[in-house]
Amino acid sequence: MKNEGGKENNRHSTPGKKEAETLIQTVEDYRREKEILLALSNELTKVREKNDLLHLFKKGIKGLFYISHTIITLIDYKDETYTPFLLDNEGSPIRTHDRYQEMVHSRFSLNEPFIQSVLQASAPISFLLKEVMDLPQSPPFLQVNYEKGVTEILMTKLMKEGKPIGFLHIYTDKPEGFSAEFRSIINGIVPQISGAVSNILKNEELLKEEKEKSFLLDFSSEIAAVRTKDDLARAVHGAFRKLNPSGGFVIRRINEDKHTLSIYVYDMPNVKNRKIIKELENTSFEMNDGLQNRILNSAIPVLLNTEREIRRGITSTYLQYWKQLGIENFVGIRLRNGETNLGILLLDIDEINVRLLKGICAQISIAMANIIANDQVSKTQGEQAFLLDFSKDITRVRTREELQHAIFTVLDKTMHTKLAMIRVLEDDGIHLSAFMYDKSLFTKVKDQFDNMAAHRITVDEPYTAQVLASEEGIMFSVEEEIKSGNDYAGLWRSTGLKNMYALPLRVGDKSIGTIWILANRLSPLLVKGICAQISIAIANIQANEKLLTYKKKLEIENDYLKEQIKTIYNFSEIIGNGEAMQRVYRLISLVADSNTSVLITGETGTGKELVARAIHNASGRKDKLMVKVNCAALPANLIESELFGHERGAFTGATDRRIGKFELANNSTLFLDEIGELPPDAQAKLLRVIQERELERIGGKQTIRLDVRLIAATNRNLDEEVKAGRFRADLYFRLNVFPIHLPPLRERQEDIEPLANFFIQKYTRSTGRKIKSISPKVIQKLRSYTWPGNVRELEHLIERSILLAEDGKIDDLFIPESTGTDKTNPALLLNRSLDEVERSYIIETLKRCGGKISGTGSAADILKIPGNTLHSKMKKLGISKSDYFS
Amino acid sequence: MKILVIGGSGLIGTKVVALLRQKGHQVIAASPSTGINTITGEGLAEATKDTDVVIDLANSPSFEDNAVMEFFQTAGRNLLGAEISAGVKHHVALSIVGVDIMQNIGYMRAKMAQEDIIRQSGVPYTIIRSTQFLEFIGGIANQATKGNEVHLSDVKFQPIASDDVAAFVAKYALAAPTNGIVEIAGPERFDMYDVATRYLKYINDPRTVVPNDQPAYYGGAVPRTALVPAGHAELGTISFGKWLSTQLQQA
Repeated sequence: MKNEGGKENNRHSTPGKKEAETLIQTVEDYRREKEILLALSNELTKVREKNDLLHLFKKGIKGLFYISHTIITLIDYKDETYTPFLLDNEGSPIRTHDRYQEMVHSRFSLNEPFIQSVLQASAPISFLLKEVMDLPQSPPFLQVNYEKGVTEILMTKLMKEGKPIGFLHIYTDKPEGFSAEFRSIINGIVPQISGAVSNILKNEELLKEEKEKSFLLDFSSEIAAVRTKDDLARAVHGAFRKLNPSGGFVIRRINEDKHTLSIYVYDMPNVKNRKIIKELENTSFEMNDGLQNRILNSAIPVLLNTEREIRRGITSTYLQYWKQLGIENFVGIRLRNGETNLGILLLDIDEINVRLLKGICAQISIAMANIIANDQVSKTQGEQAFLLDFSKDITRVRTREELQHAIFTVLDKTMHTKLAMIRVLEDDGIHLSAFMYDKSLFTKVKDQFDNMAAHRITVDEPYTAQVLASEEGIMFSVEEEIKSGNDYAGLWRSTGLKNMYALPLRVGDKSIGTIWILANRLSPLLVKGICAQISIAIANIQANEKLLTYKKKLEIENDYLKEQIKTIYNFSEIIGNGEAMQRVYRLISLVADSNTSVLITGETGTGKELVARAIHNASGRKDKLMVKVNCAALPANLIESELFGHERGAFTGATDRRIGKFELANNSTLFLDEIGELPPDAQAKLLRVIQERELERIGGKQTIRLDVRLIAATNRNLDEEVKAGRFRADLYFRLNVFPIHLPPLRERQEDIEPLANFFIQKYTRSTGRKIKSISPKVIQKLRSYTWPGNVRELEHLIERSILLAEDGKIDDLFIPESTGTDKTNPALLLNRSLDEVERSYIIETLKRCGGKISGTGSAADILKIPGNTLHSKMKKLGISKSDYFS
Repeated sequence: MKILVIGGSGLIGTKVVALLRQKGHQVIAASPSTGINTITGEGLAEATKDTDVVIDLANSPSFEDNAVMEFFQTAGRNLLGAEISAGVKHHVALSIVGVDIMQNIGYMRAKMAQEDIIRQSGVPYTIIRSTQFLEFIGGIANQATKGNEVHLSDVKFQPIASDDVAAFVAKYALAAPTNGIVEIAGPERFDMYDVATRYLKYINDPRTVVPNDQPAYYGGAVPRTALVPAGHAELGTISFGKWLSTQLQQA
């Protein structure tokens, strides 16, 4: 039953008193109605919010008339629906209905007969629920109310500027329904209710805007105080807590590579899985993954569905994690400062308040840009400060170890990388050898690296050539180099770093080497600065090392020269024109110019060293010092190090690097005296050096090429030594290329007098004595002596004679008495008297017989003389026990 | 289906919304006044949520060259961005016949930019290029008026009634995406000055139409056949005469 119209007009109009009473009643009713209307109107104009209106319905209307409950619905024209706006939460009987929540959130279509009839009615219109609820398309709330005992509904449309904006629903569960008076009053206050609803809407809008503004204002003042990333995290965290207490947020920043984004600050309160957090924290996500780039390209916030994005084929792992975490929807917004994208903000929320989010993001973006700029500035300052320190450190560096420490530290601190290699150009200007590197960088490929590092390369090696030719160095992409088949790239790849930065080290315009640094990205300015410092430091160290080497060499040469001054015959010419010596001179002049090894043999004191020196002085090497090694004078265990040198740490006690005599004699002559005394080990090594013309220091890896002319000398018969196995045959043949035999003095009688005169002159000079002449007797004596000590003995004899001479004349010679022990020396044998011969033979026999003088097996027995005779002979010759028990 | 009509309160929009609602679809008529703004992005994410088809009928509030370009680019990017994220299955947009050959006109460049954004978005689409609406004739006459004379050329003109346009839009919106362009036009082809003459006469307008042979559209020189379909086009059913009679009834 529809019942339209303001008032029912069903009152009886009987004449008389009753009529008068009725009239009075009617007037009274109108008066009451008017009062109610007035009161309600006054109340309605004060309504500002939902609660006011609710209160009015409850107290103002419900107090006067019976109704079960009222609600107000609003029309949404965008989809032509109406939806609950104001609900009577206390009085409504349908609150306990199963479908109550559904009703509260439903949007009911305007395009159905029930509500259309309300829209077309010009006044409140009532319906009996049981009549309308089952009509096709009728809204379900009619049924719901009916099921909770409601019988009738009074629908009134609310109008604003001639257009319906919503409906006032009034329900009753009383069978008598709504009275005419009630309908009339409702009709009367509809404009005020409409006005009140508009006011509430406007007010809510204002409040919402107000709230947003104050929120943004608060946020803005918090952001203004932000100085660091942590501050930002706190401020953003606080703000989003207010908006959505349970949801998290993530700010990702575009990394320096401009291709990826990494987490910057975040708060994920619902995520308890540490592993996932760690994974999300430590991964750089590809910018163009189909999602992040969409957010970055969108001027407005984007609402995203995790499942849909995964189905779209976006493979970035964070989506999988979010799915695991149960995040269904999220909002993505770009963070942008001016025209530059900084990153994205991801929010775990389901709806978008564009204005608010844009406000928040603008603030975050500015803060983020400031922090990044700030970080950049302090990073730059830090780097500069560090470079300054580095520069100071570098100036103090004197040794490789100090430099290594300084370089490793600076690379680690400023660039978080390690030194791959510094190669330094050698003196020849062609080869580059490894100078310094950080072994820890290549632990995975240690052997290969050691191999390649030990290999000396030349400036023509393609990569080195490129680097040396470049002005400011070259960057090699490890991936590309692998493709192009670079041998080194394999090593590089093992480090996991992407690029190899190679720069030339230069001092002024001069290249001194190359530096190789592996990193993903380096600041070119920084690298350049550091390289300049390193170049200077290396040049200093090289100069320092060179200086030390020279110093050492000079010291050794100096020592050696001092020694030489003491020992050598102080004349440069060999005295003697005899035929034997002429032969020697000829040999010297033949061999001197060549580089042939010479073996000088001859008895002791025959002047082997003088001949060696003469050969050296007549050769092209005469400008350099001839180096002499006396093989007999060195202990067996030192001889190798003496000859070949050693590296620091090669053996216990090797505290320093030592340059061997061979190296010292480079480009000169090495004179190996007493070669026959060389121990077998050293012989082998010597042979190798002679054959290969190169050597390695003991404990060293580097081979050193040599150009040494070898002269060996010995007073032994090397032939016999070889036969006896004491001297290596192969070494002997190497040495015996050009043998020169020096004759003993007794075979060059004619030279004795000139030699004697020479020595007299020499020693008169040095002693200050004046010797005018030598007596002929003395000359005769010199000639008749056999000179077992040869020229050296002659020299010493003359020296002694000068010292003993009186009156400036040498009258006598003090030729030593033979001790009689050295019978092997033929020279000694020849000069002995019979007594001497007899004496020494008896002593020798006694020694053989263990001192037994008589009896069987005694000396007397061997000598075939009676024991007594031997006794008396011993007494006569002065042979005591000490002679044969020595 | 849930269908979002951008510009749902405009000339074509209201008709399309009504047509689709008649067919029982859940239609959201979007416009800044209903809280859905493609320029600011307001309400866009909510509106596109669970939406199957988006029909873009919005027009720029300003026709200045830069403003109109800015409008179609921003709106297009925002709208299609939201559609991608929401998983919308069909984007339908209304464009103009000959838009590609009238690139000397700022508005046409902007519409072309809108089409390009749609084509590049990856969202399945149907672009409907329409000829001028019959409703435009008054406006065309006005902008060509000098004093009491209306100077119009013999450029070919095949106007279509907005009811026909709305019907085509609704039809294509409910069909599968063509991922291409379809052209729609009125049933008859005229010279522009001729249509204007007849229109003014019909509504008893005192202005006289002065024909010329310099084909132009809103001040921009165009090829004589720029405004009419070159190949196949779907033709509306409402003729000029029929349309005129309904106009008079309304007036």
